[in-house]
Amino acid sequence: MVKRAVNEFVKGLWEEIPPFRLVLGLCPTLAVTKTVENALGMGMAVIFVLTCSNVIVSAVRNLIPKQVRIACFIVVIATFVTIVELVMQAFTYPLYLKLGIFIPLIVVNCILLGRAEAFASKNGVIYSLADGLGIGIGYTLALSALASIREIFGYGTFYHISVFGPSFKPFSFMVKAPGAFVCLGLMLCIMNMFKKK
Amino acid sequence: MESYIVLVISCIFVNNILLMQYLGNCPFLGVSKRMETAVGMAMAVIFVLVMAGAVTWVVNYYILKPYDLEYLRTLSFILVIASLVQLVEMFLKKNIPALYAGLGIYLPLITTNCAVLGVCLINMKEEYDFIHTLVSSFSYAAGFGLALVLFAAIRERILLARVPKPLQDTSIGLVTAGMLSLAFFGFKGMIH
Amino acid sequence: MRDILKLFLAVTIFSAISGGLLAFVRSATQARIEYQQLKFVKGPTLKEIMKGCQNDPIVDRFKVKCGKKEKTIFVGVFNGKPKVIALEAFGKGFHGDIGVMVGIDVTTDKILGIGVTTHGETPGVGSRVKTDPSFRTQFKGVSVNESVKVKADGGQIDAVTGATISSRGVCKAVNNALALYKKLKPEILKRLKNFKSKKLSS
Repeated sequence: MVKRAVNEFVKGLWEEIPPFRLVLGLCPTLAVTKTVENALGMGMAVIFVLTCSNVIVSAVRNLIPKQVRIACFIVVIATFVTIVELVMQAFTYPLYLKLGIFIPLIVVNCILLGRAEAFASKNGVIYSLADGLGIGIGYTLALSALASIREIFGYGTFYHISVFGPSFKPFSFMVKAPGAFVCLGLMLCIMNMFKKK
Repeated sequence: MESYIVLVISCIFVNNILLMQYLGNCPFLGVSKRMETAVGMAMAVIFVLVMAGAVTWVVNYYILKPYDLEYLRTLSFILVIASLVQLVEMFLKKNIPALYAGLGIYLPLITTNCAVLGVCLINMKEEYDFIHTLVSSFSYAAGFGLALVLFAAIRERILLARVPKPLQDTSIGLVTAGMLSLAFFGFKGMIH
Repeated sequence: MRDILKLFLAVTIFSAISGGLLAFVRSATQARIEYQQLKFVKGPTLKEIMKGCQNDPIVDRFKVKCGKKEKTIFVGVFNGKPKVIALEAFGKGFHGDIGVMVGIDVTTDKILGIGVTTHGETPGVGSRVKTDPSFRTQFKGVSVNESVKVKADGGQIDAVTGATISSRGVCKAVNNALALYKKLKPEILKRLKNFKSKKLSS
């Protein structure tokens, strides 16, 4: 049992890492990866919401009538998103302002509903917890990787610390919308090269 | 009148929801492989978004605000949108089967299209009045449709080209979207 | 029919539990959220105005009834006494309202300093009413019984070059703040008499 739980956790870190292997949740991936700080903040929020919603959905999976399960999942997810929203406003207000509407938009992030429907509604609580944590951490890693590239080239900094020194001319294409698309596309391409044939 | 024109241009081109605000990318990449599906999705989004904009405006200013319940905004908006989509689907199926045949399969996808919830939240953040909300919802949706149709047209051509294996599918799609976004950047100076 | 009832019941129960939970979290975080919002939106301006005060003006705030609305008053402690109050008022600028925080010394009834909190003015032109210190400092020492005007209107304030309308907006906001202060003064003084700072630093 422990072994299976570990497996569910680890698969989120590589085999099914969103948004590369599981092409879901692209909008926040593009929008919040201007800086590593934003990416980590978003990642934490997703880990919390995904883990909690997976556990709750899995715990009540036999009580929900089939026809309204999606509506119930959405209520569960939206509840945890609102909790994150309130807590972030209370404790990390500047980060909350930076992430803006992308915090409430976690509700419609396909990863959450996708995991609730495809995994948590069919598996036990422990496995769902492992799955939520794994996918959440994988997503955070992916966000941070993309954000590192964009921040280093776009601002010349990493987590607000200068990398190239003052003479560096920032390549601001990277932190604008087009740069986000191209950068993610190329990262996806690199990931595909590693895929087993 | 002037404020409406500025709003329309700003929502369709300058702040294009897909290419500038990064919203609604999942359907953008998902249904853009063929022109017909792209047009169908664009119509469905325009249809739902204008209704959702109107309903969420009423919910916000007549239910949430008077009772100081604005922290329930996310929860109530998503439920309103989800039930609205269901209602529209049932209504079309029964009364206008021709339209349902065209839009039907896209409607369930719209609930989790972040462009819909996103635009409703933007409308509240900008504190638009009712008419401005309608205009902005329509224009954002039209911008979504425009980008989607343009993108689908490009993608049909890419199908004919020889793309390196690792770059195929989503990957080349994202790079193409980046180029399209770069083109939309040209509109940036239009409105101050 | 019974099936539909069951479905309806399930969604209702879920929504009710979620609503209850959220109401609880909301009430637990409400005070902190209000403080954080004030700190990051008005905080920098308040700090500027109340340079050298011994307390945190955002913690030591109170609300005064003004007609139907409530007005938040921030208190600054100098030399152990609540000497300065600050309140925010608005005036029409080039693009919408300009919000101005005005600090008033209650012992002398003179302006201690002002700062722009929110504005939509043109960056680099009208926005200089916020960033240009030489514009701001002109308001210092003006008595609450005077009315401030830019020189073009026969007043005492040098407008920011090229931004007369924005400067006028700031003057209007300051005048509104002064009028509010005069109207609320008895109530404010009453509250200051029993004032005790919640957090003092030396």
